[in-house]
Amino acid sequence: MARLILMFNKQVVKEYPLMKESVTIGRNEENTIHINNLAVSGYHARIDAAGNDFILTDLQSTNGTFINDKRVVSHKLSHGDNIIVGKHVILFVGTGAEAGEDKPAGPKTDLDRTMMLDTAKQKELLAKQKESTQVTEASGKIGVISFIEGADVGEVELKKKLTKIGKADTSEIRLSGLFMPATAATISRRPSGYVITTMGGKIKVNGEVLKDSVALKDFDTIEVGKVKFQFYQRETSEKQG
Amino acid sequence: MNTYVSPWIGAILEIKSSGITDVGLKREGNEDSYSIEDSLGLYIVADGMGGHLAGEIASKISVEMINKVFRKWIDKDAGDKEIFGQPDSSLSRKGNFILGGIRLANRVIYELALEKEEYHGMGTTVVVLLVTPSLVIAANVGDSRIYMVRDGEIERLSRDHSIVAEQVEMGMMTKEEAENSPLRHVLTRNLGSSEEVDPEIFEIEPANNDRFILCSDGLTDLVTDTELLNMSENEPDPGALCSNLIDIVLKRGAHDNATIISVDLTDIHKPKNGIFKNLGFFIEDMIISVKRNIKKIIH
Repeated sequence: MARLILMFNKQVVKEYPLMKESVTIGRNEENTIHINNLAVSGYHARIDAAGNDFILTDLQSTNGTFINDKRVVSHKLSHGDNIIVGKHVILFVGTGAEAGEDKPAGPKTDLDRTMMLDTAKQKELLAKQKESTQVTEASGKIGVISFIEGADVGEVELKKKLTKIGKADTSEIRLSGLFMPATAATISRRPSGYVITTMGGKIKVNGEVLKDSVALKDFDTIEVGKVKFQFYQRETSEKQG
Repeated sequence: MNTYVSPWIGAILEIKSSGITDVGLKREGNEDSYSIEDSLGLYIVADGMGGHLAGEIASKISVEMINKVFRKWIDKDAGDKEIFGQPDSSLSRKGNFILGGIRLANRVIYELALEKEEYHGMGTTVVVLLVTPSLVIAANVGDSRIYMVRDGEIERLSRDHSIVAEQVEMGMMTKEEAENSPLRHVLTRNLGSSEEVDPEIFEIEPANNDRFILCSDGLTDLVTDTELLNMSENEPDPGALCSNLIDIVLKRGAHDNATIISVDLTDIHKPKNGIFKNLGFFIEDMIISVKRNIKKIIH
């Protein structure tokens, strides 16, 4: 089945299977693809099934509808087309591609080949349309450790990719104490989340002695020697790298 | 296979590494590039895209450029202002060298692609691994990957920049759906398509017997993470592991170029935190507290 993938700021917002005969795109809530953005007209464009093909029609929208980088009034969609509506991009995924058939018509795309979404072109195009838009900032989560006992540090955001905890000057979190190692433990931010690893210090996570490393969950309690703290994640407006 | 004993100050790192690339059974040319620099602890795989020879050129530039500038910045112990682009405060110094190197390679490929018509639309993925006795840095752009095998488990140290991977992360698609999606090769980031690039970089502490596997999607399209783990666990030699993996890829059709590097940390000697060091800290603590008390008395 052919599909439409709605994207904003390179992020996928939603996917729509093309089940109906006709699909409309616009700011009005009655549209199949409803985009609440001022750069988008109330009824901006529609897509109609015509045999095995899909035809896009611009509904005389204020800011126009673009296919890849060309403004269009009507256009027969081919697999991989980027439909640009305001600052949103809708990617068209054709049926031929889905079933792995070779379509004779239209530009053939070798799906085993790696392709790049043409964001440079999109950016150029979007820069031309300086409409006031509601931009939702991409926000991420950042780990925080909050001290409970044994150290007067309060809360520390884990801003580094690798946070070292210990006595050494180079530690992001410096703890004192006679038997505190130079580096007692590290907390690393990985693709899967935050992970604490012992580096020779006696570390307990939720009361259990840590052998090597463990993934941290919100409100895990961590003890490093006599120091006790809690881990959690909170929203941040800062962009994460 | 290479064995390298790296003489870092106050620590020793013993590395065994091996790399292999194969054109596969369907492609005419090999657009992948890779490099192994045991003396730097730097390993790179890049998977180029773009017609004619452009993909091959893009991947080659990224590998050469990152190697060159990383070595230069290490040699002169470059400061924040000497590296390319704004440094990222969440990263170590060496992490910023890699970040700067990837950004610079992106800019060079981007500008070359604009300049010459035959290079228009060229781009490349890149994965970079740096190993030192105290730090392992993994960086990536695109869908080439870095895996870490530690204590019988496999973990990705890279994040795929593809439409399907982003959908999986947002919970809109299952991993199985992603593997079969026609969009699985559509990237959201690469080197060469725009002026700026935002690489993914992770930093972790190394451990003895860690194994890192860098690869292009020619491997991961055909071999699952679990299969990769099982094959890795059964083959202690990195060179043999790489050729076993290529054999499997070829048996399964090898529709794309495949490149694999295996880096094994066979031995890390760190300065031990012995009783004398603890005693040193104890004396340091005493001196600091005596100083504080003297200050209090003076005031």
